[in-house]
Amino acid sequence: MIARLLTTLFLLFATTAMAQEEKPGIQIGLSQEVVEISSSFTGTEIIVFGSIENGIAEDLKAGLYDLVVVLEGPRELVTVRRRERKLGIWVNGTARDFIDVPSSYSVASTKPFSQITGAEDARILQIGLDNLSFQPVEGGSDDPLNAEFQASVKRLKTDKSLYLESPGGISFLTPSLFKARLAVPANVPIGQHTARAFMFHKGKFIESQFLPLTVKKIGFEQFTYDFAHEHGFWFGIICVIVAAFTGWLASVVFRKN
Amino acid sequence: MLVNLYLPIAEMSVNVLVLFSMGAGVGFLSGMFGVGGGFLMTPLLIFYNIPPAVAVATEANQIVASSFSGALAHLRRAAVDIKLGIMLLVGGIAGSAAGVVIFSALREAGQLDLIISILYVLFLGTIGTLMVIESLGAIRKARKAAASGEEVAPTALPTHRPWIANLPFKMRFERSQLYLSVIPVLVLGFLVGILASIMGVGGGFIMVPAMIYLLRVPTNVVIGTSLFQIMFVTMFTTVAQAATNQTVDIVLAFILMVGGVIGAQFGAHAGQKLKGEQLRALLGLIVLAVCLRMGWDLVTTPDELFSLGTGGH
Repeated sequence: MIARLLTTLFLLFATTAMAQEEKPGIQIGLSQEVVEISSSFTGTEIIVFGSIENGIAEDLKAGLYDLVVVLEGPRELVTVRRRERKLGIWVNGTARDFIDVPSSYSVASTKPFSQITGAEDARILQIGLDNLSFQPVEGGSDDPLNAEFQASVKRLKTDKSLYLESPGGISFLTPSLFKARLAVPANVPIGQHTARAFMFHKGKFIESQFLPLTVKKIGFEQFTYDFAHEHGFWFGIICVIVAAFTGWLASVVFRKN
Repeated sequence: MLVNLYLPIAEMSVNVLVLFSMGAGVGFLSGMFGVGGGFLMTPLLIFYNIPPAVAVATEANQIVASSFSGALAHLRRAAVDIKLGIMLLVGGIAGSAAGVVIFSALREAGQLDLIISILYVLFLGTIGTLMVIESLGAIRKARKAAASGEEVAPTALPTHRPWIANLPFKMRFERSQLYLSVIPVLVLGFLVGILASIMGVGGGFIMVPAMIYLLRVPTNVVIGTSLFQIMFVTMFTTVAQAATNQTVDIVLAFILMVGGVIGAQFGAHAGQKLKGEQLRALLGLIVLAVCLRMGWDLVTTPDELFSLGTGGH
């Protein structure tokens, strides 16, 4: 017992002493690891907690450490279509495909992005909507058409509240402990999401950490969706039986009227 | 109270009261006018931002419920020519299957929403105009007759239909007392089947006039036989859409069904208080209003030129 206490104390001292030498970094945790979508789901909020490890005390107090937290939905192939006027009617004309487009993207930070780091770093780390770039299937990224179509993906996703920026959405609880609030909209895509935290010190990128977040339907919604997609034929048969029964019930209930 | 509901297939949160009211409202009109209502319900669902693919397939499922209760009532009164209904059904199932294939292809090409809108504008525009012209003529005639105190003789149908009478593969339909080639029957069923898959309508608004004017089916069995065929074709369409495109939303369909059957009961009572030609004029105007709204969306410059899809082009 005493031996164990001594060992623990020794280890604690050792880590504290070594901490001076150790690289600064971050640790993060999520308020929940799973978002469940039931019939009453109208959106929620995810909180990412974290702490800056081995930071320089004076710099922590002076607020020289900055953070960006991104919550990103599963990546997918997206087709963007542009409506064009043909014979007086607006029809879907030119289309462009982009691969690995995040189905949702919500970002929070301690300050506006331009004050956190240089344009080059922000672009490489793909922090903020302006720096998010998608890989076009045809044509290069310098193709002006691709640039226009890519911008429209961001605009459309923003209109549907799937892409969201909240500069200042991260607050410090202590000089090294922080909290990021990220909104999850009602139409959040199903699948594996990733929460990613980036740490900066005086404008320089130091480290990033990530954690997975599962978004899934539960109960009746889950069962119905899975069944409809895996056993479409039998799902159709059930839909027909429900409809026929409803129709029959109506004819019985209202027959006397 | 549960007002917002998440639809499992459409994958969106909707207001149950709004959808129920839409079902009841269209049900009221269909009870009043004796029409299926699919051609009004599908555009309304699209106006409510339900994806057109889901709206069309789900509406086919709702029509199963309304046509089933209607067909049962007509079967009890033996007002169905089952043999004719089965021949229409053979054509209808082939048409519906073809329609589901066309539907999938258009969806992949990104042109499904456009084709649905164009078809609606064409059909609603034509039928609405014909209904308004015909009913206004009937109202004028009734007024003139009332003024002169004479009985109005119903317009007699021309008795000959040479091109249809000369077609081969004739078949006897005892209930309708018809000796008729199966070709126009199969073709009519086929065309209506395609409409069921692509537009989410029962097709009664085409089938009933075609049966009366082209096939000369006696009016006492027309509605029952048409409902009999619509019921089975929409059953087939529901299963085919569910198996191929996974676009039947059972929760949405159920809300609409319940609203629809209740609304239809009140509509039927209200309909008895209005004159036939006034009813037809009113329905014609409603049909034209929906047509104009859809047509307007096709020709005006949209606020947003771009749209997103998944799965490539």
